Amino acid sequence: MATDSPIARVVVCDAGPLIHLDELDSLRLLCDFPSVLVPEVVWAEAERHRPHIFAMPNLPFVRVRPQHPPRPALAALSRLMPLHAGETQALQIAEEQGADLLLTDDTAARLAARELQLSVHGTLGILLRAIRRGQRSTPEMLVLLRAIPERSTLHIKPSLLLEVIAQVERTVG
Amino acid sequence: MTTSIRTNIPDRLVQQAAILVNDGWASDLDEILIDALRRYLSSHSAELSETFVREDLEWGLRGNG
Repeated sequence: MATDSPIARVVVCDAGPLIHLDELDSLRLLCDFPSVLVPEVVWAEAERHRPHIFAMPNLPFVRVRPQHPPRPALAALSRLMPLHAGETQALQIAEEQGADLLLTDDTAARLAARELQLSVHGTLGILLRAIRRGQRSTPEMLVLLRAIPERSTLHIKPSLLLEVIAQVERTVG
Repeated sequence: MTTSIRTNIPDRLVQQAAILVNDGWASDLDEILIDALRRYLSSHSAELSETFVREDLEWGLRGNG
């Protein structure tokens, strides 16, 4: 099922996907990207929740800090939504680095990313992408998807998760 | 209809809100809290969350990158 479509070169990650993927023992799915930029505020937040994350070997994380103050449009969105410091910094780094992909599970941050015309997805997208990229088999991923409510703090409405699972079974299985 | 809620708010936030009220940008603290909650709910709606899950589903299975 692996495809030859070009993968995102510049990826920025918020704390949510780091934490949720680690809860699901799936952090290594991010190794499919050349590097994953983690803003320093996000780094500290993720480390507080999952202290071992950045001690794990051979993960593509690069700790980064913003080079400039946030653009007025981002500063305004950050106040309006409102966004937390990590989410704001993730958006800022994504803008500064011309990111191909921003990873966040926060609804407001995704909304802000859309306003800023950034490509954005979350933990669920990375899990499902693993089937497309041949990182996990469909049966393996179905087991993982079914375990989300028990094994992770990623909140997905149960009926919607069942719909996702059914679609994976139909489309790929 | 309204509901009274008892909650603890950091002093710094209350002080910042009080400045807005004193300067005439809001009529009272209640108005600021209601507006803040309304804005939060509008940017964290169930509809939006569902939309994003469906976007992840499409991108994950059939997208690029």
